[in-house]
Amino acid sequence: MTGIALRSENLSRSFGGVQAVAGVSLSLPEGQVTALVGPNGAGKTTTFNLITGNLRADSGTAEIRGKPIMGLKPWQVARLGVARSYQDLRLFTHMTVRENVLAATETSSWFWQPGGRRAQQQREHRAESAMEATGLTALADARAVDLAYAERKFLSMARILAAEADIWLLDEPASGLDLSSRIRFGTLLKDAQARGVAICLIEHNLDVVVELSNRIAFLDQGKVLAEGDPQTILKDPALAAIYFGDRPQEAA
Amino acid sequence: MTAFLINLATLAAISGILASTLNFIVGYAGIFSVAHAVFFGLGAYGGAQVALLLVPNPFLACLVAAVIAGGLSLCLALPALRVRGEYFVAASLGLQMVAATLFAELKPLTGGIGGLVGIPRPEILGTIVPVLPLALAALALILWATARLQRGTFGRTLQSIRDADSAAESLGKNVNAAKTLAVVFACAGAGVAGALYALHLSFINVESFTLDQSIQIMAMVIIGGAGTLWGPLVGAVLLLSLPAVISFIPFIPPTEVGAVQQIIYGTAMTLLMIFRPAGLLGDMSKGKSTA
Amino acid sequence: MLFLQLLLNGLQTGAIYALTAAGFALIFGATKIFHVAHGTAFTIAGYVFLFAWGAGWPSWLGVLASIAAAMVFGIVMERLVYRPIQRHEGSFFTVFVAAFGVSIVVQNIIGMIAGRGFATVDTPLSFSAEILPEIFVAPMLWISLATAGVLFVALTLFLTRHPAGVALRALAQNPDLIRTYGLSSNGLSVLAFAIGSALAAPAAIVTAMTTGLNEAIGHHVMLISIAATIVGGIGSLRGAALAGMMLGIAESLALTVVDTQWAEAVSFLVLFGFIIFRPAGIFGVTQTR
Repeated sequence: MTGIALRSENLSRSFGGVQAVAGVSLSLPEGQVTALVGPNGAGKTTTFNLITGNLRADSGTAEIRGKPIMGLKPWQVARLGVARSYQDLRLFTHMTVRENVLAATETSSWFWQPGGRRAQQQREHRAESAMEATGLTALADARAVDLAYAERKFLSMARILAAEADIWLLDEPASGLDLSSRIRFGTLLKDAQARGVAICLIEHNLDVVVELSNRIAFLDQGKVLAEGDPQTILKDPALAAIYFGDRPQEAA
Repeated sequence: MTAFLINLATLAAISGILASTLNFIVGYAGIFSVAHAVFFGLGAYGGAQVALLLVPNPFLACLVAAVIAGGLSLCLALPALRVRGEYFVAASLGLQMVAATLFAELKPLTGGIGGLVGIPRPEILGTIVPVLPLALAALALILWATARLQRGTFGRTLQSIRDADSAAESLGKNVNAAKTLAVVFACAGAGVAGALYALHLSFINVESFTLDQSIQIMAMVIIGGAGTLWGPLVGAVLLLSLPAVISFIPFIPPTEVGAVQQIIYGTAMTLLMIFRPAGLLGDMSKGKSTA
Repeated sequence: MLFLQLLLNGLQTGAIYALTAAGFALIFGATKIFHVAHGTAFTIAGYVFLFAWGAGWPSWLGVLASIAAAMVFGIVMERLVYRPIQRHEGSFFTVFVAAFGVSIVVQNIIGMIAGRGFATVDTPLSFSAEILPEIFVAPMLWISLATAGVLFVALTLFLTRHPAGVALRALAQNPDLIRTYGLSSNGLSVLAFAIGSALAAPAAIVTAMTTGLNEAIGHHVMLISIAATIVGGIGSLRGAALAGMMLGIAESLALTVVDTQWAEAVSFLVLFGFIIFRPAGIFGVTQTR
């Protein structure tokens, strides 16, 4: 049995009286893809923000391999091996693809990076292989702002690959991708899984969820209603009612 | 004539330091400070006091100036960490106004409106040295350092923060530390320029450290091209030679030279922003909207 | 007694600040343009009135000319400077530098034409009379307060009743509308500049009749307007006006503790404090960075 990379207990957060996250307990096992599923406003992105320290939790705890991370700053959490992507990508728009990816390998805020020339070469190597894995090598010198939509999504993934994190929190990484891009994306996830990376992704399209993930955590109104393998969860009529109830245009 | 040219060259080197250090935080970190003259002034007063009270050693004066300006630049770093865009510009405006009042009023330290007079000429090992070679050396050193930083990993860190600070932070970058470091570096450089300025003129007062000066430094950066290495230097030389050029035009009365100069550089700022926002040396495709 | 006198002086300054700040806030709210040449509209309006007065025009005509000049300046800025910059996606700082360039140019042209230093309009309205023991007040105080009051009521009515006013308010409260509406907000943007700039004119006239104008006064006005808009909370006209009034009073009352030279610094200390501790301002909604 593999270990749990990240575990949260009872994470809660409210915004001006609205309980966005109401006690989320979640475990991300190594080498598994956990899909965070739920209707809009269920608190999925907020859960990410609480884990990464972008938002402060009102209560609850989270730990990475037993090390508590509550109260840490986002960059401290990142240095413990958590990488995340954003729904709106947040690329370094005016930098080239290569610079975007290289930036992900450089964590020191000092005037220079530690380790000298050797470490520099290693980082460059990491950046090159991340670009290769995401199919961006030919675009290395293009600016992020000039990329097509799918390429931008892959650039966001390349940054995460280059960061060499072992916990990935991905916010709708596959939305808007065509089939061939999605297959390429699936390969990225499989490779990472094989290396033991714990992956958590937010995804609305249930077909994609089945395609990519091997665990589902179903969130509604700030709580995890069910956790388990995709088949069981998606066949549960009660959950389906909740999921589609809030989105009548899809239920019709 | 040579005295005139030496004076111009010295002032150009000093302005070059100011413009390239400001360019460092404007062009790479997206920190649009209109308070750079404050740190120029802090360095000038600090360096002048060292020369007046201790020894007229230019290296000591520059060191003290850099420490004072770099240390107090935390006043600028603080709002830079909290807010950005218009809010930060407003904060730096506020800082500039308060600092100008302090410069004019803290008589024991700054000599008040009258300023500090009779600052001794710089001496190295007992010999009086002109400021020009010192200023050129400082300019070369600072240009070399900024070029290294801008092209190295630190420049990349600052640019990533400028483009998407939350993403940079979630990739493990300590955004606050990097921004503070950039501000301290740039302001310490402005402090060095200030010390050289005080030693060169042997007289300083608050007039040189007001909002107008900050805007002029900003204009040098913008006109030359923010985010480029040589642009700010070109801007500095252009703006400084403007009064000399104007004074050669016969039909402008000497009393209006200052106004004509201001009108020219005001017009240049506006027209460049409309037609070539990346500045004279800026790469149009790259410099379009760096903020 | 000194306190009361300073409070009354502060009210007069505050009324002027409130008007200019409201203009700035209206423009910033509706267009998201940081119009640092707003002080220039003030200077132009003031000097136009000064010239009209000097040329012996009736004062109502001078007032109209002054308002018209401010409006034209605002509209020209929107059309010829801000619009082209926004068309090529210029950053806020591009806008800032361009507008600052204009303010430098206008300041120096006015200095060359009208001469440098303070110029005032002499009118019996600014002669002070002792209304209470040791309290001196000129009729201008009541005129400026009444003007500010009437204009605010008018502005509020316009913004709540008139469809164009409601649209302006909607733009201020939801900046995304600008993006969604795109070009259709063009007319509104011109309107915001026209009204916002016009608000600077009465303030400039009052200043011309009391403390006087100089060619560099636009700087000061611009800085105060920015300070008031941020302290009041960006997007809130009421906040900007109130903060303008408060800054005027604070500057004046500060004289009980410090010398005149510090008066302006007081405003900026307040601004600096707000930006660091409460960037959303008094009436603003706290936003995450």
